[in-house]
Amino acid sequence: MRQLLFTGFNAFGQHEFVNSPHDEQPVPCVQALVVCNWQQSRRAVRSLTQLKCILSSPFIIELNAHDGGNSNSNKKKNQCTISIAWRYTAYALDRKLRLRGLLETEPGDCVEVETPGEIKALAAGDSHCLVLLYTGELYKIQPKLEATLQAIRLESPPRPSTATKRTIFGAAKAPAPPIIEHIACGTNINVAISSENAVYSIPSCLHQFPDRQWRVQQLECGHEHALLLNGNGDVYTWGNGLRGQLGQVALGVEETPQLIDALAGIKITGIAAGGWHSAAISAFGDLYTWGLNCSGQLGMRVMKPGGLLKEPTVYPLPQLHDLPECCRSSRENESGDDEGVCEPLRVFAGSRHTLLLRRCGRLWASGWCIHGQLGKQLCEQNFLDAFQALDGVGVDLDFVSGLCGPWATLLMVTAKQKKSVSSADAIS
Amino acid sequence: MEASLLKLFPRFVDLKDLLQNEVEARYILKKATDFLERIKSKGTAGEDEEIRYLVCALVDRNWERIHTGHFSNVPLTIRKIYAIACFFKIFFLLMESSNPRQKEQCSGILDEAQLLGCTDDWSDLKAALMEYLDKGQEEPTQPLPILPAVMRVSSPCDIPQLDAPGLNEFKTKCFQPQQPTLLLNTIKHWPAVDKWRDLNYLLNVAGNRTVPIEIGSNYASDEWSQQLVKIRDFLRRQFVVDQCGDGRREIEYLAQHELFAQIPALKADICVPDYCTVSGAEETAAAVDIKAWLGPAGTISPMHYDPKHNLLCQVFGSKKIILAAPKDADNLYPHESEFLGNTSQINAAELDYKTYPLLERVRFYKLLLQPGDCLYMPPKWWHYVRAETPSFSVSFWW
Repeated sequence: MRQLLFTGFNAFGQHEFVNSPHDEQPVPCVQALVVCNWQQSRRAVRSLTQLKCILSSPFIIELNAHDGGNSNSNKKKNQCTISIAWRYTAYALDRKLRLRGLLETEPGDCVEVETPGEIKALAAGDSHCLVLLYTGELYKIQPKLEATLQAIRLESPPRPSTATKRTIFGAAKAPAPPIIEHIACGTNINVAISSENAVYSIPSCLHQFPDRQWRVQQLECGHEHALLLNGNGDVYTWGNGLRGQLGQVALGVEETPQLIDALAGIKITGIAAGGWHSAAISAFGDLYTWGLNCSGQLGMRVMKPGGLLKEPTVYPLPQLHDLPECCRSSRENESGDDEGVCEPLRVFAGSRHTLLLRRCGRLWASGWCIHGQLGKQLCEQNFLDAFQALDGVGVDLDFVSGLCGPWATLLMVTAKQKKSVSSADAIS
Repeated sequence: MEASLLKLFPRFVDLKDLLQNEVEARYILKKATDFLERIKSKGTAGEDEEIRYLVCALVDRNWERIHTGHFSNVPLTIRKIYAIACFFKIFFLLMESSNPRQKEQCSGILDEAQLLGCTDDWSDLKAALMEYLDKGQEEPTQPLPILPAVMRVSSPCDIPQLDAPGLNEFKTKCFQPQQPTLLLNTIKHWPAVDKWRDLNYLLNVAGNRTVPIEIGSNYASDEWSQQLVKIRDFLRRQFVVDQCGDGRREIEYLAQHELFAQIPALKADICVPDYCTVSGAEETAAAVDIKAWLGPAGTISPMHYDPKHNLLCQVFGSKKIILAAPKDADNLYPHESEFLGNTSQINAAELDYKTYPLLERVRFYKLLLQPGDCLYMPPKWWHYVRAETPSFSVSFWW
């Protein structure tokens, strides 16, 4: 059975937990999880705690975790989409959208609206939440009690290549509104990408990639920068790079998408954007991080030996990580060939933390953890400045999907199938 | 915490305007101010754990907002909320304990409130907290050195020198023709010239303050980083002769910091030279930016330029300076990045004509800046500065 596990900042009752004695269904709980009640959890949740998906019963949760609408082809029923902002969280299921948190005056405020079509993706920011429908239409909603859905009208991209389309009567046809496929937002940045690879800084079009040259795989935003991964495995960045976020040699602001030269020729398969940092995983099983390392979010040492002075806090170029051994040594006995068994598979990032899923199913993490972002075992420290394995996941639990809020981590997991002989096997 | 201190904290009504459009700060600071009012009236206020956590979260949250975008564009409201949240964080920490360790932590938070935040609206509270937190702090265990007063050494100088010129002479010979000039014996009357050589004086007056320092010999290098440290620790690390003697200690530089706004007692030891009142025909005298530059021998500011008139005054120690004219900008290979666009890639002390052939065309001017002297640099003049000895300079930009 699938469970949503949450850890991190919850001072405004953004998240509700499966716990209370009033729950009709007793929920099986894995030992590694600490259950806490809603009142206690009104601060920071400092261990992975089972989350109640407030829009669906826990038995049918499918999490479309903040992937900017990447899984557009196979829409699943009952797929709940979640996006976490600092003071509220947005949940969507079919045409229902719910915002919960500190909306105006009290924690736990909640508003719910119906959207004109089924929701494909959400991007929750400080001042508004972007809502993308499967039709490719884009809306926004402000996190307040009297919230209403507002349609976003995007400017059309310049089309020098194609002649103006005319109706049979010769009048110029109004260009059809773009069909948006990916969205993401940060504090100072709101990005949408159309099916024709036009890149919008909402609402203006800031760049048009040559038509359908490739497809966008993933779009992510930090506080003030954006990362785009295409089907060729190339990574483009733009926005504010004064803290090294863009992966370019020179610190500065880039108005339009720029290819990261340092990663050119390396096929990238997954990206993540933290507040002021970025991460990428390659098909060769390598992890790269770059940008600000103020809290160890790059997995790089923060203080010099001796503990008095800092290492540089900004790494403008992608840093290749030599990750510590994971479960290789323990498995070596089982099978001779375990090449790549623990290689990085997916990466996620919050404002100042980074989460890494390795092929063996274990989660590793680095960065700021003072608000419980990294779960239980780390809350004594302010931050972790080298990747470390998180308890539980990969051992008792199988990872299904995940996402990070600014100061939070959300995982969807299933209880691990025991390798021991099951009752079914016993019968056969 | 004393009642007199509590009285200086703002009430919620005082903050109302500031918090008009700030949902989370309004919610959190309402709780915090209510809590404080209950303490003031009843002496106790009940459970504080949640409020304390929320106040800390508000500090962290606004730290992130201050670090988003360019610092100069951060709205004042955000910097004010950061400062007031820091004050309340200090309040809750002191409720918990007021032992020296806790006070030390609080004084670090107060310094950050001042450096990153905007404390203008609560200057009385800030001053009172600072005084309270400095009281009973650790006495210096190991005295710091008193640097010797040195006699002037004769040294070649490639630019004109004037001995304490009058205002008019400065205007006609330096300011109007945009002529970099070494002004000898111009700040000899500053109390700072005698007082600051005794590093124990600096320790007493400023030891508890936190300042930004640069680590690594020069800011354009990859190894460079910046951090906030206590002046006390900085002085100990950089000016006490290394016991282990391995000589591999890292160079730290208190550079380009507005120290005098932070520590008024030091401001009293200097005065703004009259030269800074000289301005072009149409302009009215603008505000003067005063910055401190304190570090051991070997600190380097790589070849760069600043947009304003600059008077670099040497309080103790000496600095080797290399200048180049604005017209040579294209021959000096400035960095391409936005941060370092005013900085050259060259090492002016060791010219590499192979990598940077255009340097052949540049005329460089060398000089030694000695205690009591100042160097006038017109806007956009390139300069490389290296401390030959432990050094304290004060720069005036206008």
